[in-house]
Amino acid sequence: MSVTINTKINGQSVSANAEASTSLLEFLRDTLEMKGSKLCCNTGECGACTIIYNGKPINSCVTMAADANGAEIVTIEGLANGDKLHPVQQAFIDTGAVQCGYCTPGYIISVKALLDRTTKPTPEDIEEAVSGNICRCTGYNKIVDAIHLAADRIAGRA
Amino acid sequence: MDYFEPKTVSEALSVLAKHGAEAKVIAGGTDVMVDIKFKEEPGSLVNIKKLPGLSGISENGGSLRIGALTTIRDLETSAILRDKLPVLWEAAHQFASLQVRNTATIGGNICRASPSGETLAPLLVLEATAKCAFSDGEKNQPFTSFFQGPGKSVLGAKGLLTEIDVPYPAAGSKSVYLKHAVRGAMDIAMVGVAVQITPDAGKNTIQDIRIGLGAVAPTPIRAPKTEALLRGKPLTAALLKEAATLAGSESSPITDQRSSGEYRRWIVEALTRRGLEQTWKAATGKEVA
Repeated sequence: MSVTINTKINGQSVSANAEASTSLLEFLRDTLEMKGSKLCCNTGECGACTIIYNGKPINSCVTMAADANGAEIVTIEGLANGDKLHPVQQAFIDTGAVQCGYCTPGYIISVKALLDRTTKPTPEDIEEAVSGNICRCTGYNKIVDAIHLAADRIAGRA
Repeated sequence: MDYFEPKTVSEALSVLAKHGAEAKVIAGGTDVMVDIKFKEEPGSLVNIKKLPGLSGISENGGSLRIGALTTIRDLETSAILRDKLPVLWEAAHQFASLQVRNTATIGGNICRASPSGETLAPLLVLEATAKCAFSDGEKNQPFTSFFQGPGKSVLGAKGLLTEIDVPYPAAGSKSVYLKHAVRGAMDIAMVGVAVQITPDAGKNTIQDIRIGLGAVAPTPIRAPKTEALLRGKPLTAALLKEAATLAGSESSPITDQRSSGEYRRWIVEALTRRGLEQTWKAATGKEVA
């Protein structure tokens, strides 16, 4: 059965139809052709599909597309301002926190959600914020460096 | 697959009455969406996520009322829950990942009726009650008789969990929830143990003891023989050892990809011992003699 979904993605109103069994990730990638959010485990364990849903990071692969109705969603495509990258994106580049890059959109969204809450995250805040994201190239130290750098830049400390 | 978004509990119950066993209730979706993709699509999906009035935490005299649609993150960030029901807070805190906690609901964790459901051993130890809605009326069901097997509860195919009521532990009680898993985040517990000790007025003996075991039987269980052994006694080293062994024997763990049954039983013993030591010390200020 098809469901009509009226939602707001990266500030833009979107209306489209999807099968009721469709996940929000499939809706983004296949219906709307927004390929930035990544499909990986498809079970809510790896965080590659992380998006911000009504201000909170969630796994879009285990969320129903129908639940986007009336929601405000932010995806990786919504972070850069024209050619100017978001401070979190720039910090990942500047610290070399990217290897293959497949996990990176999910990480960046998790970190953006964290830094929207606080620009002085504690080590516990950081661990909590990215504990649902897996990087299989093993870049965790540099990812933590990137989070500190982004926080400092957003808060005007660097 | 048919799809329903009922606007009220009674509308949801009518849909369930009509579609029964081939209908699947979905809220957060963190479990059901995985089933849809990797197992099979249900005949119909009943999305209750936006049902009004089923979300939130409120004080109710000597207990907390928690709406079934309250997310695990809402539990984790509730100051009153952390203060009054620390054993349930600990389970919420250790639950999966932040992304999952932001979506998953306590009602979903309960209705899934998985033996390893993170909040279930704490709810058994807290002697919480489930408010279950059926088309012919409401029923308050203690969690000690709520679960009937893996994936099965008294709700059957036609009932809906609307709220849970969790009484505050008796004054002076101390509790702990210990989870054994490989990866800190995301891992399903190989074993989860909840322990709550209430000392006597002089803090010399165990007046009341409750032990909940997760992931080591077809449902989350209490360990009644171990509790009976401990009740009314001071916690000595010999009693601690005997209690831990007995708790292991009250479990009936399976072997699966996460660990062998034998290993799980050892972990039940270890976590029971650890949980008893910690709560005894916290409740009485005494080391195990």
